[in-house]
Amino acid sequence: MLRSLKYYWRIQLAVMLGAATATAVLTGALLVGDSVRGSLRDLTLDRLGRIDYAVLSENLFREDLARDLSARPEYSARFDTAASALLLSGTAIQAATQSRATGVNICGADEQFVALFEASPDSLMQQLTRKSGQPFPSVIINAALQQELNAKVGDEILLAFKSYSEIPRASLLGSKETDDVLESMRLTITHILPNRGLGRFGLRPQQHLPRNAFVLLPTLQHALGQEGKVNAMLVAAKGASEIHKASSIPPLRGVLLDTTKVQNLKNTPPAPLKGGVLDVLSQSLQTAWQLEDLGLRLQSYASFFSLTSRELILKPSVVGLAQTIARDLQLSTQPILTYLANTMAAHGRMVPYSTITALPTPVPALFGSLQLREGVAAPRLEDDEVLLNEWAAQELQATVGDTVLASYYVVGAREELTTQTHALRVRGIVQQKGLAADRSLTPPIPGVENAEDMQAWEPPFPVDLKLIRPQDEVYWDEHGATPKAFVNDSTGRRLWRSRFGEVSAIRFAANGDEDPAAVPAEFAKRLLAASTPEAAGFNLQSVKSQGMQSAAGATDFGMLFIGFSIFLIASATLLLGMLFRLGAEQRAREVGTLLAVGYSLRNVRGRLFKEGMFVALLGTILGTLGALAYAWLVMIGLRTWWVEAVGTSFLFLHVTPASLIIGALCALVIIALAIWWAVRQLGKIPATALLRGVTQNAERTPIRYARMVAMSASALAMLLLFVALAMDSASSAGLFFGSGALFLIAGLGLLSMRLRQRRTGAIVTTRLAMSARNNARNPGRSMLSAALVSCACFIIVAVGANRREFGREALQKNSGTGGFALMAESDAPLYHNLDSVAGRAALGFAEEDSSLFHDTKIFPLRLLPGEDASCLNLYQPQKPRVLGVTRELIARGGFQFHATSRDSATNAWRLLETELEPNVIPAIGDFNSVQWILHLGLGKDLVMQNERGEELRLRFVGLLQSSIFQSELLISEENFLKHFPGQSGYSYFLIATPPDSAARLSQALESALHRYGFDAASTIAKLASFQAVENTYLSVFQTIGGLGLLLGTLGLGLILVRNVIERRGELATLRAFGFLQAVLMKMLLLENSFLLLWGILIGSGAALLAVAPHLVRAGALLPWLSLCLTLLLVFLAGFLASVVAFKVAAHAPLLPALKEE
Amino acid sequence: MQEPNLIYLKASQVTKYFESGSRRVEVLRDLSFEISSGQSLAIIGPSGSGKSTLLHLLGTLDRPSAGTITLEEVNPLHLSEPELAKFRNQTIGFVFQEHHLLPQYSVLENALLPAFAFGKCDTAVMAHARELLQRVGLAHRLEHFPAELSGGERQRVAVARALINRPRLLLCDEPTGNLDRTTALSVAALLFELHKEQNNILIIVTHSAELASRCERRYELREGACFAV
Repeated sequence: MLRSLKYYWRIQLAVMLGAATATAVLTGALLVGDSVRGSLRDLTLDRLGRIDYAVLSENLFREDLARDLSARPEYSARFDTAASALLLSGTAIQAATQSRATGVNICGADEQFVALFEASPDSLMQQLTRKSGQPFPSVIINAALQQELNAKVGDEILLAFKSYSEIPRASLLGSKETDDVLESMRLTITHILPNRGLGRFGLRPQQHLPRNAFVLLPTLQHALGQEGKVNAMLVAAKGASEIHKASSIPPLRGVLLDTTKVQNLKNTPPAPLKGGVLDVLSQSLQTAWQLEDLGLRLQSYASFFSLTSRELILKPSVVGLAQTIARDLQLSTQPILTYLANTMAAHGRMVPYSTITALPTPVPALFGSLQLREGVAAPRLEDDEVLLNEWAAQELQATVGDTVLASYYVVGAREELTTQTHALRVRGIVQQKGLAADRSLTPPIPGVENAEDMQAWEPPFPVDLKLIRPQDEVYWDEHGATPKAFVNDSTGRRLWRSRFGEVSAIRFAANGDEDPAAVPAEFAKRLLAASTPEAAGFNLQSVKSQGMQSAAGATDFGMLFIGFSIFLIASATLLLGMLFRLGAEQRAREVGTLLAVGYSLRNVRGRLFKEGMFVALLGTILGTLGALAYAWLVMIGLRTWWVEAVGTSFLFLHVTPASLIIGALCALVIIALAIWWAVRQLGKIPATALLRGVTQNAERTPIRYARMVAMSASALAMLLLFVALAMDSASSAGLFFGSGALFLIAGLGLLSMRLRQRRTGAIVTTRLAMSARNNARNPGRSMLSAALVSCACFIIVAVGANRREFGREALQKNSGTGGFALMAESDAPLYHNLDSVAGRAALGFAEEDSSLFHDTKIFPLRLLPGEDASCLNLYQPQKPRVLGVTRELIARGGFQFHATSRDSATNAWRLLETELEPNVIPAIGDFNSVQWILHLGLGKDLVMQNERGEELRLRFVGLLQSSIFQSELLISEENFLKHFPGQSGYSYFLIATPPDSAARLSQALESALHRYGFDAASTIAKLASFQAVENTYLSVFQTIGGLGLLLGTLGLGLILVRNVIERRGELATLRAFGFLQAVLMKMLLLENSFLLLWGILIGSGAALLAVAPHLVRAGALLPWLSLCLTLLLVFLAGFLASVVAFKVAAHAPLLPALKEE
Repeated sequence: MQEPNLIYLKASQVTKYFESGSRRVEVLRDLSFEISSGQSLAIIGPSGSGKSTLLHLLGTLDRPSAGTITLEEVNPLHLSEPELAKFRNQTIGFVFQEHHLLPQYSVLENALLPAFAFGKCDTAVMAHARELLQRVGLAHRLEHFPAELSGGERQRVAVARALINRPRLLLCDEPTGNLDRTTALSVAALLFELHKEQNNILIIVTHSAELASRCERRYELREGACFAV
């Protein structure tokens, strides 16, 4: 065998290089997958430092909770001391230049937090500490933020962020004024962190560099007016987690071989979100927290105690839990809802600003007496009946049976205040004593509770102080905010319930002789134990294992690159098979001799196969080394030329032995099949023919096979086409593509038929016809040439058709922008209607700005922060961003749907209002994100948790086509508020404005709302950013496909050289008969041009069919010019290969060919 | 109808040598002869004596190292490549030991091939091809392909192809070398029959004494020199 290898070393070398190429590409693609996953894991470990778990809360809790938690033995056995932090998001403004960065992570950090990243945090803590003489507190920023602000150490920056309000801003008592909504602080930059470690800190998995600003925790707490409060605890596992141990090994950038140990650790499946360690943390938290951490207050009175919330309204879950515990402790309960009536009116008289308490009636004596003027206990109240206190009854001149009109504010759909009036029938007049004189029935209203008199009120809602009369001031002086009227609990719920709850306090009273001090303590203990972190608004996250899980990526880059490289692999394999076949053909006489002297066919085939596999094995080993180079080059490509596809330049080569082995084995199997095919073909030729040097099987494949393939593929393709046309769903694209691929096969079948057709009657009388007929000389080779070209063209056209640019046509209502020229986001939510003059005035717009809003309509959306669900995020999103779509926007409709769950010819957005099962809500997402990033589809559910910690399923009822909503999912505002009531205000905006004024409007909005971190962007630019990713992937595909085409062209050239060599005798004869060399060349070029044209036509036609749905879609423009140019290049490449092949073959002397073939 | 014996082939002191490194191998040396239309000539000699080389020189497929060859008083060496190709196409016909039929063409199309060299063949050429094929006994095989023919039939197609342009010089290189004796005799008979009919010059290179004996003149090549036999 070695002698044979040595003798035929040239062709064997070529076979080996073919095997090496196939192995390098296949294994390299797997290594690309390893590298992306490995790099994302590195980034996860880098951005989290020693943090393994995070306890996050929408509400603030005591900073000391971390200390209390750390003191719990069950905690300390598993975890290190927890670090408290205030994590906010806001805007940074360079004071001198006014350059601005939105979406900045503002972190209030202490030493323990810094120690999670730095072995010796002292120097950084010193940098965070304000120096004497330093005008403003210190801030440390990371290099990413520094770059964006173009700032340096010593510069001053302003950080603006959402201020904290215990009272929901969307409730009546929540302030919505800009100065109350936003906080800002001026700071001096004292240090700039590199974009790694602490500088890259972020809990959310993303490959993009975060913009971080670190401030001393007390400084940020002070700015927020929340001393001693935090919203995050960051926890490291005891010692160092296994994952972190792995991370302590230096990053493997540029290192060819990873260590198995590290890789195995990194491949360890992450711990589940719940269960195990996270449960221990959850239980520890439940034992360590206090009512204050849950935002609750328990206050004891003489005969009862009361549970209230800092939010002034108790969450329904807390109410339910409290009542259950009360039942267990056999306590009587009295749920109370006290509301503010702007006026109470009767008989033409009016009392302004009175509180009315709703409570169950009759009132048990345990909670204080509520006695009528007549001296008897107040009766049970029916719905819409009211008890007035004596003062109010007198002021209104109201008596029993009279109607009192109560006017009050309710919070509207847009969180605006509207006044409603309700008629209440007076059931009785109560004495102002006992419960009726209880000031604590009214919760402390901000801006009101401490006012000296009513004229000094500064409540968060509008008041008309002119309505306040002297007698009202007298009442205020004597009774404060004591309720002036009472209704039953069902009336109160009906009139004043909000999404935040329907109870402002619950009172509890013991029925027996229990120790009055012990009962509240027992109640508190049970309430704390029964509350779950989720229900209490805490969110426990296993951030590191989640991050590692997400690092698996939304897209398997290994498979993606195998897909990208498939044509290259196929070309290399075909080329290898052909080279081996050519090598075997060189030895036709040798094979014939061996057969003639008695070797069995099996034996001869075995010898050839073994030789081939030995060479292939050498090629595979060489290819494995090539795979490292291929993957390394691709990673360089992803970091540089194709960075738009991945959005990070932190991707480095990572190698796993498993990928090397799997890739090499797969390649070897493919190569073995190719070699086996070549050996088998040669074995079909009789020994006598081989002895004469004949290498083609005289028995041609019958035409009926080609006809069968062509007809069945055409029939199936047509069937798929009809099914696809009948369907209007996501799967139609796949069907069209399948149909296109089948048409490709049918086209090649047709060509095969044509080549194998026995021509009778039609006589060749011209050189052109001669050239056409010459292709039939070796139909197999002609087919191989055409197949190489058609596959390349199929890919080129199919890929090119998906490449899109966006112009103004993309601003149509039924396009991906929905007809909106601008979209915007704000770091802090807006509570005023940006679309109204009044709202804009409240937000600080001047009157002269009104012209800017001419012909402009702004639709706000609610935003639940989360992870980017688009292709811009390499990590697998665990909790995607969610938008709440207002009814107004639903009614407007627009955008283009890829598929909907049911026919909705008029407005598919209405599907968002469909009623589904409990805790299942309809959702709309962009097809690209749902299909490729979330790996879900129409009718499928995305499972997440709502604000109460309950499982919530978002069921996809509609999928948008290439829209601006690729980063988020959309649900109705109604469902949004039902499941995420704490998310108040609007942070996402769609702005319909004439394109010409979009830039000016965008600038004005950003300028006026800069403190909100308002960032407007062109929708076309947004679409283009998504498309840039797609286009970049297409470029990758085309580049690698181009390499495949190059290899294919090389194959084509080899086929042509072989053809010419085989036909030397024939060509020499033609020359002898007077055919000029140039004429022969023309004929050969014509021959190959026919094949090229066939290949181009079949491939392009089939591809156009495959992308037909994309082409008929509005706004889709096929880049005809670039495609035609590319196809022309394919033709020219093939043509050039023909010329080179002919030139190579023409060098061989023709005269000897006349003597023998 | 025979043409007068005006056309003639004249070889004057034709020498052919090949360079092999620093060595010069002389294959033909000062070879001279003349032959007129209607005459036939057999060139015999052992393998490697230069028979095929001489035939290629006569057929203008190769150039002599020295000396001249003229046909109808035209020295093909003075022609440009296109003129030479046209000259060869219209003046010379070849029959090789290997038939070199093109497998993708039918019998009729193979016979027509030389007619395509300078354009489309017309109906007259087509009729001539049919007539020739009829003459060689293949009228019933016009639409058959070479793979479907016997060795003798293939060689007969090659003969028809060689005569399609009515060449004044017909060169045959071992035309029966690959055929059995019976078939060889039949092909030889056909060659001479058509030679008589077309009144061309027939030059046959052969090992076969039987075939050579049918020619009017015979030359033997030995050590580069030409001897009349």
